[in-house]
Amino acid sequence: MRTNDTLAGAILITIALAMIALTINFPLMPGQKYGPALFPRLLGAGMIMCGMLLILRGRRNARPALALASWAADPWRRVSFALMLALPLAAIFAWTPIGFVPTTLVSLLLLLLWFRTRPATALLAALVATALLQIFFGKLMRVPLPLGWLLELPPHWLKYLT
Amino acid sequence: MWTAFSQAMSLVFDPYVLWICFASAVFGMFVGAMPGLTATMATALLVPITFFMPPVPALGAIVTATAMAIFAGDIPAAMLRIPGTPASAAYTDESYAMARKGQLDLNMGVNLVFSALGGLFGVVILIVCAPWLAELAINFSSFEYFWLAALGLTCAIFIATDDPVKGFAALFVGLGIGCIGIDPAAGYPRFTFGSVELLQGVSFIPAMIGMFAISELLRGAVTVDQAGQVLGQQVGNIFRGVGAVFRRYWFNFLRGSVIGTAIGALPGAGADIAAWISYAVSKKFSKEPEKFGTGHIEGIVDSTSANNSALGGAWIPALVFGIPGDSITAIVIGVLYMKNMNPGPTVFLQNPQFIYAVFIIFILANLLMLPIGWVAIRSAKQILRTPRNILLPIILMFCIVGSYAMTNSVYGIGVMLVLGLLGWLLEENGFPVAPIILGLVLGEMFEQNFMTSMIKADGNLASFFARPIAAVLGVITLALWAYMLWRMRHAAPAAQDA
Repeated sequence: MRTNDTLAGAILITIALAMIALTINFPLMPGQKYGPALFPRLLGAGMIMCGMLLILRGRRNARPALALASWAADPWRRVSFALMLALPLAAIFAWTPIGFVPTTLVSLLLLLLWFRTRPATALLAALVATALLQIFFGKLMRVPLPLGWLLELPPHWLKYLT
Repeated sequence: MWTAFSQAMSLVFDPYVLWICFASAVFGMFVGAMPGLTATMATALLVPITFFMPPVPALGAIVTATAMAIFAGDIPAAMLRIPGTPASAAYTDESYAMARKGQLDLNMGVNLVFSALGGLFGVVILIVCAPWLAELAINFSSFEYFWLAALGLTCAIFIATDDPVKGFAALFVGLGIGCIGIDPAAGYPRFTFGSVELLQGVSFIPAMIGMFAISELLRGAVTVDQAGQVLGQQVGNIFRGVGAVFRRYWFNFLRGSVIGTAIGALPGAGADIAAWISYAVSKKFSKEPEKFGTGHIEGIVDSTSANNSALGGAWIPALVFGIPGDSITAIVIGVLYMKNMNPGPTVFLQNPQFIYAVFIIFILANLLMLPIGWVAIRSAKQILRTPRNILLPIILMFCIVGSYAMTNSVYGIGVMLVLGLLGWLLEENGFPVAPIILGLVLGEMFEQNFMTSMIKADGNLASFFARPIAAVLGVITLALWAYMLWRMRHAAPAAQDA
């Protein structure tokens, strides 16, 4: 997704104004003329300057405000892109209720199949990758990956995974 | 000094550390040789693993993996005409042209040997300069550090981008993201919107993984079905003829290494820019510039030495001032803080054994590059045949788990996702990502030194120039700003589509 300089500058200025507006209620440091607001406000001023320069430049060479990259015309690529974002989202929302292992297994399998991996290879890759990640991070590095459904397993199985 | 040195030797020559270095070397070779996976990404992926290690193996893993990755990027450049890492982009066409002429062996040999030599050159400069600079830096006050950070951030934009407006915009965005959390001077929570997790600021490592790995994976996902064609040539004896090249082009090697180390040491610019500049210099001063681009070895000697020497150079400001020389050392600084080895001149006094250990590992890594690189070249065809449609999903999953491991909560994944998308969007629109990372890394130090200086000076800006070193640094910074403004007025704005 490409924006032209005018739109990019306008977005930058909006963000800067919002940032400065949020600093209005920041307190001063006791006995000083400045406080925690000074630095963000200076940054905001800098961003506004850059934004204005971008807008000036954008007015000189006219281009459409928004243009999609060439791959966006192909639905398969659009879904590929969206899936790359969907996997982290699935992790955020599904790990706690369902657990790391089931979520990862399913989402890896889906992505691999979408990328046109042969089903047997995809299943094998998803299984091996999930097991290795669980054992390496969950067991060796003691990262508390959510167990979720795995808690239903008999405890003597779990000790190999956590 | 000798006790610290012998301590460092025993820290490094521990079977565990050596094993870690070897494993990271293999990992680095693989990541570097795979187009679309960069040395910075290798570092970002290593951090969740090194997080659980003591400092020396953790730093050793990063040093070794990055040195290998920068060399390994040359392999697909010659065989596929796709640089394995951006650092090889400058001479990809030249290498490929050599391979087409049937000189693949010589090209690989020269790349391997001169990468190792260039790397060693950078390390020597690091070993000589860093302790000397640290001694100088011990007397620095907040004014010097303020200007140093300002100069570093300015250099990042000055060298690394040809569009200063977008560079500065990216820098301000990075510094702005760095403002989230408790402010360093007064302890007031800023822009946290009531979130407890944002109080500590945006988690640095998930942010890195997002900016460098997720954005790359997003680009990779839409081209996953496009693979290059490996040249059908057999690799023979790669070391034949390298000696003759060295005798003929030893000056190119020295020049490339000097340029590489210097550019590496300048904040914000790393191996890729070092390679571009030294290739251009080589062509400009060559006796036969007409041969460049037709498969001529001369420019490759310059630039392949330069990109590896830049790695050592980048550690100079990182260790001495805590100002990263490139995006890899930006991550390293985050690792140093996690290991309670806050970079700065005092580390040379308090923990010299760690510094020496890094030096030793650097030398070791560049020596290790020759045998492992040789194996990597021999097995390049198998490596380059690794299907990207399997690799990409697994790397994505690794990023997710790695980000989670840094915060032990899904908050890390959220940071990774948001900054990954932001990084992708900005790069699509011609905003460089490196200044954002520098802003994020340096923001706190920059603001703290700025506020301390303001309070000390009671708001009198002239005090920022009262001490001699501060004055010099300040004048250089201001001069660079003025020059960039001047250049902006005179440069044609047409270049932005490039």
